[in-house]
Amino acid sequence: MRFPTLPTWFAKKLSVASPVKVKDRSQLRVGIPKVLNIWTTAQFWVGFLKALGVSSENIIFSSDTSEEQGREFGKGRGTVDCCYPVKCISGHYGELIFGQKKKINVLFSPMIHTLPSLLHGHVVDTITCTRVMAGPESIKAGFMKERDIFTENGIVYASPFVSLGDRHMVVQQMHDSLKDVFDLDLEETNLAVQAGFEALDAFTAKARQQSRDILNWCAQNQKPCILVLARPYHMDTGIGHEIEAELQAHGFPILWLQYLPGDGDLMNWLFEEDMRSGRIKSPFDISDVWTSSYSSNTNEIMWGAKFASRCPWITCVIRLSSYECGMDQPTYTPTQKIVEASRTLFFKFGDLDSTKPAGSIKIRVETVVHYMAKYSQEIMRSKLARLSPQCPLGPLQAPASSLPESEVPAGLHADNPPAVSAAS
Amino acid sequence: MAQLATIAPYTAYKPRPFTRDQRGKTTILYGGLTWKHERLMQGALHNLKYNAEPLPNIARDDLDAGKELIDTGACCPTIFTTGSLVNFLKKEVAAHGKDQVNDKFIYLTAGACGPCRFGQYHESYSMALDGLGLRDFRLFLLAQDELDQGPANGGGLEINMPMSLGLIWSILCGDLLVDLEYMTRPYEVNPGQTDAVLKDSVEYMYEVFLHRPDRGKKYGTLAWHLMSNYFTKALREVRKKWDAIEVDHLRVKAKVKVTGEFWLQTHEGDGNYNIKRWLEQEQSEVVPPPVAVWLHYLLHPEIRKLEHRNSKSKHPQMQQMALQALEKIYRGTYNRFRKALANLPNELPDQVELKQLAEPFYHFELRGGEGHMLIGKALHAYHHKKAHMICELSPYSCMPNTMSIGSMANVLGKYPDLLYAPIEVKGDAEVHALSRCQMILTEAKKRAQAEFEDVMKKTGLTVDAIRKYEARHPEVKRATYKVPHLGYAGMAANYITHLARCGVGNA
Repeated sequence: MRFPTLPTWFAKKLSVASPVKVKDRSQLRVGIPKVLNIWTTAQFWVGFLKALGVSSENIIFSSDTSEEQGREFGKGRGTVDCCYPVKCISGHYGELIFGQKKKINVLFSPMIHTLPSLLHGHVVDTITCTRVMAGPESIKAGFMKERDIFTENGIVYASPFVSLGDRHMVVQQMHDSLKDVFDLDLEETNLAVQAGFEALDAFTAKARQQSRDILNWCAQNQKPCILVLARPYHMDTGIGHEIEAELQAHGFPILWLQYLPGDGDLMNWLFEEDMRSGRIKSPFDISDVWTSSYSSNTNEIMWGAKFASRCPWITCVIRLSSYECGMDQPTYTPTQKIVEASRTLFFKFGDLDSTKPAGSIKIRVETVVHYMAKYSQEIMRSKLARLSPQCPLGPLQAPASSLPESEVPAGLHADNPPAVSAAS
Repeated sequence: MAQLATIAPYTAYKPRPFTRDQRGKTTILYGGLTWKHERLMQGALHNLKYNAEPLPNIARDDLDAGKELIDTGACCPTIFTTGSLVNFLKKEVAAHGKDQVNDKFIYLTAGACGPCRFGQYHESYSMALDGLGLRDFRLFLLAQDELDQGPANGGGLEINMPMSLGLIWSILCGDLLVDLEYMTRPYEVNPGQTDAVLKDSVEYMYEVFLHRPDRGKKYGTLAWHLMSNYFTKALREVRKKWDAIEVDHLRVKAKVKVTGEFWLQTHEGDGNYNIKRWLEQEQSEVVPPPVAVWLHYLLHPEIRKLEHRNSKSKHPQMQQMALQALEKIYRGTYNRFRKALANLPNELPDQVELKQLAEPFYHFELRGGEGHMLIGKALHAYHHKKAHMICELSPYSCMPNTMSIGSMANVLGKYPDLLYAPIEVKGDAEVHALSRCQMILTEAKKRAQAEFEDVMKKTGLTVDAIRKYEARHPEVKRATYKVPHLGYAGMAANYITHLARCGVGNA
């Protein structure tokens, strides 16, 4: 039997005894610029705001980035020349302020300090890029340098500093910065944050399962797929320029590293040899390839490259990187070397900027498709040969017969990687 | 059937061990600060029986050498520092061969600072080592925030209290000498005298660090460093050397506070187009950025709060209190050293004030680079009239710096009369950078002149009267004569006001 003690007598009874009354915020319109790490955390913000009583139709995301958006809404608002994913935020802010038929009341642009990550606990930290973290401050300046555009338009600017990767800190951080904006009390914030994480976790789990389903299909049919090694904002059609969509149109399933499956059975199968040799301690350990594991997205890019180099059906990696990305810069060579160590094809689309170089993308896509068609079966066979036959994706169909010996390019016989690592 | 050959998986660079018995025949290479700091650090390392040698000062050639071997798009501090190491190693390899270089040298660099590229410099260094075929060369990281990291990688390099305190104390003394240098040289009557006395002072302080007494490995040495008058006594000797320099504080100079990315603002050489010397040639007095401010920032409990978010400490409050005490001791030590130099070097700015000044424009928890400090420092200089203009040195593609420069637009909207020159440094665009700086400098010079004329008018003093007073009181012409800050940015205006208060006009 448990005896009541002082702490249990005096413990604050939470929602059961006195249900938290959600204030009426149904008419409040909240605009969120769809930029940077919002691409992988949007479900948290929607879950959070909905739990506060903001109705779904009143949560407004800006459109995908476009040059028109920047011209129409962001012109004259830039304060510094930096990478396009940050620079373009002016257009998103402007669209939310000036481009809505029904005005928004709050422009909500969080400064995300850390990110939830599959690698949490296996890396030094999961911090975001300094530009990404501080971007809202720099962009805000463009709307306040002459006059306070937010106030003039009756908009409250809210920019909470929040460590989404350190869940125990989030409630306090959100309450401190948003209590006046939404008239929040701590308990209400707590419940809203919980709702936000539940929504985010549910979405992430579903997306990972879908990636696993794709791999499953590839395994059963011995078909190749492509992994996109990029930062979350490359999902934005105006930043990633839909390069992966062009490839998908050729019939190759696409995986994004942010939603790779992390299931134990699959991980242990892929990384069995590395763990057995003591090279890594767990499948999520990247210390063998990257020691400065502070940055969340960089860590995941490294891990994604390792995943791709081992996973038989990922026969090609597409690396996307924006012009002047300081976080990507030191990773160019390591990621390429990690991927190519298993002869997996590696193509880098670097220095992406505001203008879509449609012509050169088309040519590059043709090159990718050609090499995928030519080498994928060999790459799958070779990678499978290095793994245990106990594949968690079920009994495998034998890969299609390889190319006739005479048609196999010399590079594939030799120790040198095939000359298809068309990094630019 | 074609069988794909296996390639060895990519592995991150890990240095070979550096063992204790190798210490006598191995030289530690380091760099990244000024020659003054580096010489004093050498004294501290020699004192601990390490062979230590700073890398040659950065030169333009290093930019090309760095670019050749690391991934494209790096910031210029990464390129310059990598290139500097590369050029040094190339020369050594040509003279002695790869094996000897691998055994004879190790490179020690700061790291582990988190999200900025500064925390990833070593990735570029290791890539460069690969390019040079020197994978066996040893490169070690020194965490900036731990005084006692124990014996690292084989025990040859023991990052303990005597080493950390020796290095920190040498940095503090280096900062103080740099402050003296920049506040004296623009006013020296005999050209070259400041540089000669500076050199003499640095050599003297090198000896002081070289002969630092051994007070044990832990708390004994900590207590000695905090309480001993060993360094203050030495700094008083330095002050005597500076007494000999005659200055003319009536020269009207624009006071330019240099801020920016850590490496670029600290560096003196081709890496930042020698901009500090250039500013002096352009009739300015430079307020140099002390490394001590950066260390103070790292120590500040408010700033460190986030880093303890996952602390496993059983007594986080105790830890916080210890950090607060440490911060006070640190500031106290710096002030003790300043006092030994007649309080001439600038005081460290209050970190809480910097945070408060920057708060409306840049959140203090946004880490990376100098964080909110760039905005805080600019506003601090503006509100306290510590400088006529701010020259912020920002490497091309620097991630944190670009963000605070962007946020400065908001600051300038609120304070349109703040003279601010953000200079982007690529390393190979000198004319562009300097001409950009000159545009703001011209306005700063006008302000310095206007301030001077205003003070002359207000006090009713004439240059003649001041010269006569100086002839009767030669102590006011010594470099070590403390001219108090009396509400003006410029030295001349403060000097005249001070003399007026001393009764010069009544003489």
